[in-house]
Amino acid sequence: MKQKLTPILMGLLAVCLFCVQPVFAQNKTVSGKVTDGKDGSAVAGASVTIKGTKQGTQTNAMGEFTISAPASATTLVISSVGFGTKEVSITEGAMDVVLAAAANDLNEVVVVGYGTARKRDLVGATASVAAKDFNKGTYTSPDQLIQGKAAGVLVINNTGQPGGSTTIRIRGSSSIRSGNQPLFVVDGIPLSGGLARPGGSGGEFGNDGGNPLNYMNPNDIASIEILKDASATAIYGSRGANGVILITTKRGKSGAAQVDASASAGFSQVAKVLEVLNADEYRKALKDYGLTSGDFGKSVDAFDEITQAGLIQNYNVAVGGGTEDARYRISTGYLDQKGVVKTSELKKLSVNLNSNFKFLPSKKLGLDLNVMVTQTNERIAPISAFVGFTGNLISQALQWNPTRELYKPGTDSPFVERGSTTINPVAQLRYYKDLAVVNTILASISPSYKITNDLEYRFLYSVNRQVGTRKGQINRLLNAQDIENRGVAFLNNQEQTNTQITNTINYNKKIGSDLNLNAVIGHEWLVFDSKGNGLFGRDFTNLGLNYYDYLGTTSQASRGVYSFASPTQELQSFFARAILNYKDKYLVTGTFRADGSTRFGENNKYGYFPSVGVAWNVSREGFLENNDFVKNVKVRASWGKTGNQEFPSGASLNRLTIGEYNAGISAPLINRATWGNPDLKWESSATLNLGLDFTIFDERLSGSVDYFNKKTSDVLYEQNLIQPAPPGRIWFNLEGFVINKGVEISLLAAVVRNKAVNWNIGGNVSFLQNDVSGLAGFYETGALRGQGFSGVNGQRVINGQPLNVWYLRRFEGIDKGTGQSVYADGGSKLYYSGSPNPKMLLGLSTDVSYKKFAATVNFNGNFGQYIYNNTAASVLGIGNLGNRNIAKGLVGTSIQESLSNAPAPSTRNLEKGNYVKMTNASLSYRVGNIGKSFRNVNISLTGQNLLVITNYTGFDPEVNTDGGVNGIPSLGIEYIPYPSARTFTLGVNFSL
Amino acid sequence: MNNNKRYFLFLMTLSLFSCTKLDESFRSDLAESNNNDIKASQLLLGAYNSIAGPFQGNADLWALQTLSTDEGIPPTRAGDWDDNGAWRAVSSKTWNADLAQVRGQFEQLLATQFSASNVLQYNPSAQEAAEARFIRALSMYWTVDGYDQVPYREDLQDYKLLPITLKGMEAVDFIISELTAIMNDLPATGPAYTASKNAAKALLMKIYLNKGVYANRATPTFAAEDMNKVVALADEIVASGRYSLSSNYFDNFSPDNHLKSTENILTFLNDPAANRGGNVRGFAFMVQHYNQNPSGWNGFATLSDFYDKFEATDQRRGVAYSYPGGPANPGKRVNVGFMLGQQYDLVTDAPLKARNPADKPLVFTRDVKLVETDPATLELTGIRPNKYAYDYGTPGDQKNNDFAVFRLADVLLMKAEALLRTSNAAAGLTLVNSIRQKRGAADLATLTLDNLLDERGRELYWEGYRRQDQIRFGKYLLAYQNKPAAPAHTLIFPIPSSQIAVNPNLTQNPGY
Repeated sequence: MKQKLTPILMGLLAVCLFCVQPVFAQNKTVSGKVTDGKDGSAVAGASVTIKGTKQGTQTNAMGEFTISAPASATTLVISSVGFGTKEVSITEGAMDVVLAAAANDLNEVVVVGYGTARKRDLVGATASVAAKDFNKGTYTSPDQLIQGKAAGVLVINNTGQPGGSTTIRIRGSSSIRSGNQPLFVVDGIPLSGGLARPGGSGGEFGNDGGNPLNYMNPNDIASIEILKDASATAIYGSRGANGVILITTKRGKSGAAQVDASASAGFSQVAKVLEVLNADEYRKALKDYGLTSGDFGKSVDAFDEITQAGLIQNYNVAVGGGTEDARYRISTGYLDQKGVVKTSELKKLSVNLNSNFKFLPSKKLGLDLNVMVTQTNERIAPISAFVGFTGNLISQALQWNPTRELYKPGTDSPFVERGSTTINPVAQLRYYKDLAVVNTILASISPSYKITNDLEYRFLYSVNRQVGTRKGQINRLLNAQDIENRGVAFLNNQEQTNTQITNTINYNKKIGSDLNLNAVIGHEWLVFDSKGNGLFGRDFTNLGLNYYDYLGTTSQASRGVYSFASPTQELQSFFARAILNYKDKYLVTGTFRADGSTRFGENNKYGYFPSVGVAWNVSREGFLENNDFVKNVKVRASWGKTGNQEFPSGASLNRLTIGEYNAGISAPLINRATWGNPDLKWESSATLNLGLDFTIFDERLSGSVDYFNKKTSDVLYEQNLIQPAPPGRIWFNLEGFVINKGVEISLLAAVVRNKAVNWNIGGNVSFLQNDVSGLAGFYETGALRGQGFSGVNGQRVINGQPLNVWYLRRFEGIDKGTGQSVYADGGSKLYYSGSPNPKMLLGLSTDVSYKKFAATVNFNGNFGQYIYNNTAASVLGIGNLGNRNIAKGLVGTSIQESLSNAPAPSTRNLEKGNYVKMTNASLSYRVGNIGKSFRNVNISLTGQNLLVITNYTGFDPEVNTDGGVNGIPSLGIEYIPYPSARTFTLGVNFSL
Repeated sequence: MNNNKRYFLFLMTLSLFSCTKLDESFRSDLAESNNNDIKASQLLLGAYNSIAGPFQGNADLWALQTLSTDEGIPPTRAGDWDDNGAWRAVSSKTWNADLAQVRGQFEQLLATQFSASNVLQYNPSAQEAAEARFIRALSMYWTVDGYDQVPYREDLQDYKLLPITLKGMEAVDFIISELTAIMNDLPATGPAYTASKNAAKALLMKIYLNKGVYANRATPTFAAEDMNKVVALADEIVASGRYSLSSNYFDNFSPDNHLKSTENILTFLNDPAANRGGNVRGFAFMVQHYNQNPSGWNGFATLSDFYDKFEATDQRRGVAYSYPGGPANPGKRVNVGFMLGQQYDLVTDAPLKARNPADKPLVFTRDVKLVETDPATLELTGIRPNKYAYDYGTPGDQKNNDFAVFRLADVLLMKAEALLRTSNAAAGLTLVNSIRQKRGAADLATLTLDNLLDERGRELYWEGYRRQDQIRFGKYLLAYQNKPAAPAHTLIFPIPSSQIAVNPNLTQNPGY
């Protein structure tokens, strides 16, 4: 590792040397250091300006600043994100400025769509999470950094695979069939949500799609803003309905070049092992059931054989600096995270360059240039939810008869029973290989020109290009169907290129003495392109080479070849926003966006999305002014319309697909695939938001309360066609509604605030309710899987019930006499049995510092949702006894369950999913400076996923195995997933 | 300010420059506008593939036509085949409008109708048009047979237009007029997997034979006029001189049946090399035990009462069948027909063991229940039928056995039935015995409706006609071994709720 990083570091240093320019003093030189009142640590990047002028600078990584000031200057204004603004008198010599962490800093400038705004001017429901408040530990993508950090935001890690996908819901799910993930915008670049990581083909390869944000290095992120209500998101029009997450990367700060480095290492282990019988318990169970076969005489732990303590290493180096007119930041990061399942691994190397320039004597011409380059290398475990009855690695390990040898005696070769349908999990791992490499470039160039002091034009061109390759193989030695004595391999490629052109004009003007106007108008054009190809084949011999490197030798009949290019996709938009502030008391924000998309049907090419928000700053009224108890009270109201256009391109056109070549007619078959819908359009959400922000008790307690009501109409659905019809379905805007309403409360309290000890507690809670109405008929989803579960869909979308409501037989226990399951109405009737959607979300953070020690603990929890434990239901049933292993809870019960009791889908395995998790906890010690070179040395010990409080009996109640049916997503299913990890890391940060 | 105007103009130009018309196009599929490049022959093969789907494998049409009768049973075997009770509903005729099999059969038949009609939009030749209309007629015939209502669409372009609904005899008359209209354009010769004059005649025979049923399902009567048409059409098929009964019954279903069978009139082509076919291997998979080769899903079985209808010498009951690519079978074990008793490795002749309990021999037993609960036997119960000799020689999911739709034996039995129903039992008996002799069974002394239905069962078991035959003979609703008596409304399937919800021209069938 060291050898690898050294040249990069040298390169970065070389670049810095070119960029660094001395700052010349003019009148008088003021210098000093800015520290955090909480723990005395340096505040880097704080803005330091001379009051009454435009002169300013920023503190370096050590919190130090030097600024030249006119001789007449008397006061400095110092501010930083997450801290208050402080005015201090200029004094002789090195000044020592202590900033207090503001409970809620209203002068803070936050990023909003297509610009920035003062936090005090905001009228919408937004949440901002700064880097210092991110979850602590090793994370592969930015969405994980905000889990539990903002009210109304649900983040679920779908799988424990390093780099695995997440489910994010802002204020619940409002769409039945369309995507519910929010729109991510990175430094003004709206992402497509796609990932150019191909799937596997030809066998049962890992099915998790991966996280499309993996290419971002969390260490490069300065802050994440979450836009929740329509006032905030309507500026994103047809892509704003699911909420918008704005990611702002770290910028260079003017001053001498500064190197910030961090290194951490640790390991992860399986957080919770699902309990199955061990060999002795198994033998006892065989005896209890009078079974004479099934004991092979050994004693093994198959799950232990496929899992490991996975090592994690993470290194980051960033160099930043420059002058006021030419700032840069270059960073590189390297992460190597081995998973808890043997062989699985994610390696990520990222380089990020940020630079900001100002030209011309007037400094009116600006240029921002950002380039992010990342390579992710994954080795994927053989864990797919879409497996046949021989299961995946997890079910194979859970089911393995604990009395049966895993290895051939005296060797480390896995034991394989030819012709058997029982697959040895050790063999599955040994004979399986699945590799994915994704290269990503996210680059943007953005010149701007200040036409007048109030009017600025900005142009933004960005390219987001990803190229992904995936290759995999299963050795012919594995006794799986169509693999045994044949072997299979594939090689798939995918590429994705998204380009963006945005023109904006910002107008920021103080009109008269009381009215402030911040307005923007703009035009945006986005083009999305995706292509791919791949091949697979069977029938290999073992020559000591990787199958996927010589696919040309496969048997002709077994080969498959594909290539595709996505339908053309473009989005053209016009938008405008005005923020009016009258006397800091009355605030009005109006936004408007018109979105035209190639996706929309011929008769609905453009959609229009208005919003309006108002706020009243009550604390600015005479009766509350200068009140020490009530520092700030603001009431807000907003209404607006946003859209969701996450349906596939091409859905508005009649489509014919090209089938395979037929020699008889010397041409390929052609099939009419489906009808297009020329009226097809976006899904439309009208959101009402009422909110209250407050800061009381001498700024010791701040918080917000929001009520929202989001009514989604023109609900997108891929509807059954009226037969006779082509075999597909038609995309349709349904007449029904999905209503999400709820209350969100977030609080931040400074419990103890003194020189030695600082203790803050922050928390948020959201209550969500979800209802579907006005639909014609019902739609099924929630595919439950396993033997005896063919074609079973456990969830429905139907009027008067929450989205994805469970619809199952009602289990009433095991009959004492027969040992068979008893169901209400003999099992002939299905019941609505609860919702997989959480009713309450909870996030809790606390940090304490005492002198040089600091501790942070973050919790998150979800309540009210029901999870179907499909793993227990169909993988570990009592019928396995004598052959495969069973769940531990099935033996030693008062009523003996019959071996022939069918493991049928019912409420028996529908469990309450309530949980509270200690997302992470971190303890750090500020060493300070070591010698002259190492400054601000800080060491920390962090644990992730340390504690889960739940009654759920599966692996982890935070789970979402894909059980979508006909494209309708499911929620709340656990089926033989990649287990989640508990992670410990030791890290060190320092500056040079 | 002048400067500013200039800048503003520049901006506007920039914006206009990047304006786009937002036209959409496919790049890997075709849109309707590519019409000129599409030939009817390409779509016709798609229609053939479409009709082949629902008849093969264990689902939908095949399952409803077979497992609801005295011929088959889908036992719940603890962990296997519970599937939320779907199979029990099929077996006991307790289905409702939500059942996946009821919906699947309806949707697949109507998708085929659309696919066949769509061929007609692309300037087909006279023969291509006739073949497409034959496929459409075949799908409509099964639709009216199952549901008594056939949604029919003339305009294929506008998805908003509702299809008309042809009810009962209306649909029957339409199908007859279609078959009559295309007869001249269909080829007289050619492979069995292409629609031909004889295939259309066989389909007409089925319709005339069942016409009385479509008029009154509970108490059908059979017009002499229709029966005479059945006889005349059978005579025309025989007179074409193209068919004779195969000397080995299982040649009609073997992987090389397109070469061997002398009696197949219409088949659905299964040919991986030609990229054509359905899930014919499902016939082996749905009955075979896990430890057999191929390793199956240990599912469906037949009932011992049905099995006992065969005499031991009847080759249709099962033989050791030798075929190209087949197993060595040194012990000459029964590998097609009905599998009963100890099962063997067909290569080494070693007796096979059960999976759970693993120390038990793999012995298929006569008795079977709809819900098996005895752990010691639940994998083993039931006699397992499979007519389609497993194609070991072809790797992959698609196999070479063509699916038999119309066979000469069926034509002769239909003729015998028509003769019997027009008081000419003697002539019918001769026909039936000619088949029985070929199959190694003793002659029947007399021909009655009861023993003719039995004979149809022996000849055509698991070919998808049992429900129709039982209804025509008035036996469908009776109680059988492991089958309760069923109410009259089950003679017709419910219209799937998914279609009732979207198509106001459909009304739910009575009783649902």
